[in-house]
Amino acid sequence: MPGRPALEASGLSFSYGAGRPVLRDVSLTAEAGTVTAVLGVSGSGKTTLLKLCKGLLAPQRGTVRVLGVTVAAAGRGRLDPAVAYIPQNLGLVRNLTVLDNVVMGSLGRVPGLLSLLGRVPDGERRRAEAMLERLGIGHKTDEKVHALSGGERQRVAIARALMQEPRVLLADEFVSHLDVLTGREILTIVKGIAGEGVTVVVATHDIELVGRYADAVIVLRDGHKVLDRPTGSGGTEGLALALRR
Amino acid sequence: MSRSRRRPPGRWARRAIPLALTLALVVTLRNVGLLDPDRLSRAARNLAIFVWGLFPPNPSTLPTLSAAMWETLQIAFAGTAIGFILALPLALLACPVLFGRAVTTPVTLLLAFVRTVPALFWAIVFVVAVGLGPAAGTLAVALYSLGYLGKLLYETFDGVDPEVIEAVRSVGCSRAQLARYALIPEAANGIVALLLFMFEYNVRASSIMGFVGAGGIGFYLLGYIQMLRYDLLLSALLLTLAVVIVIDRLSALVRRMFLVPVTSPAPGE
Repeated sequence: MPGRPALEASGLSFSYGAGRPVLRDVSLTAEAGTVTAVLGVSGSGKTTLLKLCKGLLAPQRGTVRVLGVTVAAAGRGRLDPAVAYIPQNLGLVRNLTVLDNVVMGSLGRVPGLLSLLGRVPDGERRRAEAMLERLGIGHKTDEKVHALSGGERQRVAIARALMQEPRVLLADEFVSHLDVLTGREILTIVKGIAGEGVTVVVATHDIELVGRYADAVIVLRDGHKVLDRPTGSGGTEGLALALRR
Repeated sequence: MSRSRRRPPGRWARRAIPLALTLALVVTLRNVGLLDPDRLSRAARNLAIFVWGLFPPNPSTLPTLSAAMWETLQIAFAGTAIGFILALPLALLACPVLFGRAVTTPVTLLLAFVRTVPALFWAIVFVVAVGLGPAAGTLAVALYSLGYLGKLLYETFDGVDPEVIEAVRSVGCSRAQLARYALIPEAANGIVALLLFMFEYNVRASSIMGFVGAGGIGFYLLGYIQMLRYDLLLSALLLTLAVVIVIDRLSALVRRMFLVPVTSPAPGE
């Protein structure tokens, strides 16, 4: 059921250095508890849009608001843990164990000195273990990330994001490397997360996944938004046309 | 043809450049005295006497040399360890991911200065400061290692996958936490490799610290040269070679035991 927009990006424009703009006047509104797909081919500006929403980049024009609060690019400072971000290659620390990677999601609320000594409160550790159990990899807590399969690593990345207790989850092409079945499993998990009230924005180039899992879709082409609608209307043919036109 | 496009060198230039380089080499060789036939024949004679004097190696001083070699190893080990402990925080301060230019520039300049001064010069400085013996050598090796490890470490941190940094920053961590949970563990392979390399290098560097009275086997190496006891010198060199080979093997073993493979299973496997 549509509610107050959890994520509102309006009029975003961005270019890297003096290069040609990667995004031009793009707006995005995502309701709480929904999955919004950002669809586009490679180079269309999907990743940049997500990084702007996270505050990893600062827009040259436009604003991003999460739950009514403007997101400011934090430079080298702390970012808001209420917005979780899973990059395309997941950004897991491969020399650490699965549990360490997941516990990392709580760093925003763990006392600094304690965490620098490698000590994390037992409560956070138990939450991380419970999260891994829920995602079906509770038996892998002590394994190093580099030893996991692709699907298992996706679950670790999701668990780390959930440890942030996010209100918004941004995921960049994060099932594009997976086989169809594993990809569907992961997206079912993501859909379940949205069902718990988290606003999910997924960047993808897979039209079929958009039709199956997203509540709304925006299509980017060459940095422009060319379509913005609920997925229930218009079918996937319209999306394919919007991508190629 | 546009002015900006580079023209291939003409026929004249293709002949002139090698000719000029050859001429420069001949002039340089003459200036450094390597085209003086008298000098060269004298050098050949001296070299023959030196090589003749090396054999057979004389093992009579091996117990003394072994103790000095042990001291050399301790200088290298402690120097590398102290250098690393000092270099790690400085490398993080020089890391652009964590700090702006106002912090990184002075730190990189400091590391460049420390690196510019040869280890043997630092040894002289510390012999003056703390007196003759291995303490001076250890401090010299530590400072030299600080300069090199500092630079190599911040370059290693700079090479950490930006996606990992973005993902860990996204959880809302501080800069210190980012270093502790992302930069250092991600760079762990590189750090272990650098430490092993630096230790191996420092064993060689420490073996000449004794030239200036800073401890280790270098004192004996210089003494044997000055006394023209080349047979004892060869024993010392062979001992050094044996130790370096053993360390090389041990390093390979440590690498195999601790380093994480760079390649991970392909997604979906």
